[in-house]
Amino acid sequence: MEFELDEEQRMLRRTVRETVAKVRGRSEEQQWETYLRLGWLEAPPLELALILEELGHAADPTPFLATATWFAPLAGRLPEGSGTAVFDGTGRYVLDADRADEVALLTPGGVTVVPGADIAAERVAVLDPRLHIAHVGAGDLAVGVPDLALMGLAATCVGACRRILDLVLDHVKQREQFGRPLGSFQAVKHKAADMYVAVERARALTHFSALTIAEEDPRRGDAAHMAKAAAGECQRVVFRHGLQLFGAMGFTWENELQYHLKRAQACDLLLGTASVHRKSLLAS
Amino acid sequence: MKLADDLAVEAFRAEFSAFLDAHLPTEAEARERSRSTAHVPGWARRWQRTLFDAGWLLPGQPPEYGGRNATLPQQLAHLEELARRRIYHSFNPQGLGIIAASLITFGTEEQRRRWAVPILRAEITAALGMSEPEAGSDLASLRTRATLDGDTFTVDGQKIWTSGAHDADVLLAFVRTDPDAPRHKGLSALLIPTDTVGVVRRPFGSIAAQEDLDFNEVFLTGVRVPRENLVGPLNEGWRVANGSLGHERTLLWLSYAERLEDLLRDAAGAGAGQEWYATLRMDLTALRLLGYRQLGPDRDPAGISVLKLLGSEAVQSATLHALEAHGAEALAHPARTGPYHHMHHEHFITSWFERYARSFAGTIAGGTSEIQRNIIAERILGLPR
Repeated sequence: MEFELDEEQRMLRRTVRETVAKVRGRSEEQQWETYLRLGWLEAPPLELALILEELGHAADPTPFLATATWFAPLAGRLPEGSGTAVFDGTGRYVLDADRADEVALLTPGGVTVVPGADIAAERVAVLDPRLHIAHVGAGDLAVGVPDLALMGLAATCVGACRRILDLVLDHVKQREQFGRPLGSFQAVKHKAADMYVAVERARALTHFSALTIAEEDPRRGDAAHMAKAAAGECQRVVFRHGLQLFGAMGFTWENELQYHLKRAQACDLLLGTASVHRKSLLAS
Repeated sequence: MKLADDLAVEAFRAEFSAFLDAHLPTEAEARERSRSTAHVPGWARRWQRTLFDAGWLLPGQPPEYGGRNATLPQQLAHLEELARRRIYHSFNPQGLGIIAASLITFGTEEQRRRWAVPILRAEITAALGMSEPEAGSDLASLRTRATLDGDTFTVDGQKIWTSGAHDADVLLAFVRTDPDAPRHKGLSALLIPTDTVGVVRRPFGSIAAQEDLDFNEVFLTGVRVPRENLVGPLNEGWRVANGSLGHERTLLWLSYAERLEDLLRDAAGAGAGQEWYATLRMDLTALRLLGYRQLGPDRDPAGISVLKLLGSEAVQSATLHALEAHGAEALAHPARTGPYHHMHHEHFITSWFERYARSFAGTIAGGTSEIQRNIIAERILGLPR
């Protein structure tokens, strides 16, 4: 197998990074329109993983994740506007259900797509203030989580974790205590190294999941569980060490670290934590 | 990125696989076990020679050194095929992978002819003299002295952990040749035949058993070594040491992958329904993926540290889970916990306790996990030294 990004994929990653940096601070609508214009919603799985990692890195406020990885694989098409899906049988804690233009519902009889306005969705307050999460009042739901949805959350989580690591590294390189940068202490270095290894491991499994989806490989179900579980495990290490290494400064509303910690945590909690997916892997 | 192998790699793998089918020693032929990492039974010497002659010993090398100028992905396929069938291609792994390989890179034509080729053809075996009582992770602090007088070095000092030294014909030893130079600058690499007057080797048992003799103390007292045995330029030993270890590091992760696969098989019962067993599968998959990534342009020397840390810690963690899952049953020692493979060392199919104890070789030898974390933090993440 070849596990290297090709030149086009590297270029895409660069473009996404530059674009995301450029539109940061603009309105949600403007960011969303930029993504649509660049055709990111139509990206195939591996390219989607690269895009989602960068959006995760930026704590993206748009409905991109739900539209590309929840609605699209269930409905088999892109929505008019934005979309989401209910496929875990509960109708609870559905990403973007309060603002999606179209909602795909998985029922025992198959997939039904309804206009978002027709869905009784009630946004709930959640830990990540930038995420839209809603409960959907729909009955007769079935369970069938697409591999792409798990991969999408994993890629987003990896991006958020990478951002936390970036912020932590900046912090420990700059901040001095006892006359030395914090980052020169071995206790700090070892935590940072463990965060890095966790990110690399989760990213590798996320790319593998995307690759197996793209090639319709029979391992794609297992690979999606592995990606989601690894992202959750990564989040645990990165959240714990990241907040710890930031010290009291990470414990405030005024530091941006909070957004990324919460995004990473939310990606683990949605559609089953690491533990749930480890168990699914055992059952497969 | 794609799941399938390159066609050229596939053809290479198929050719090697057919060679193994045709030439592998039988279980009856391979009855005598090797007792240390530099003791190679007669059948294993013939086996290594067969691989050498066919260019399947170190495929990345040219034919005169037992290879066929294979690419890195082909070399990986070669080692994967050996690992898949649980075959050792050499029972003197350090002689082959480190010492002969560094002689090919740094040695003179004469040294390659006299030492490297005989090691590769398993006519002689070699051991690596790096660590000392006061120089483990901090190799640059080694104290063994070599004084050059005319065309002869006189060596005095002590090595330790020298695997297989008591069974080896020659040592590649790192010594201090310029005591006044800064730590990394005054080192040199010397080939020291073990039958030289003044070389005393004392093997000692490992945690697994008193009679498990691979580690050695090597005492060097007034040992006279001809200048022609100097490998690489005088006082350039640090470069040779780094190059030597680099040879085996690129694909070292495969040995952890092999052990994780053994664990998947041998702990399947104990791991049924246990989340740690799922983690084991994930660690193995992630290790392979990150290993494959090291074959391409994103290759990063510090990335080797990620692989070593991930692989060795995953083996240790899963082995501990397997040990604990067996409860009091795991007290049995010696015991067999995996199938016998006649072409492999038996260490990894022994009791769960021994497997767990041996997993610390992975997190200690070749740069401890702590050193790997420092390398990742400093060279990849840019934290200050």
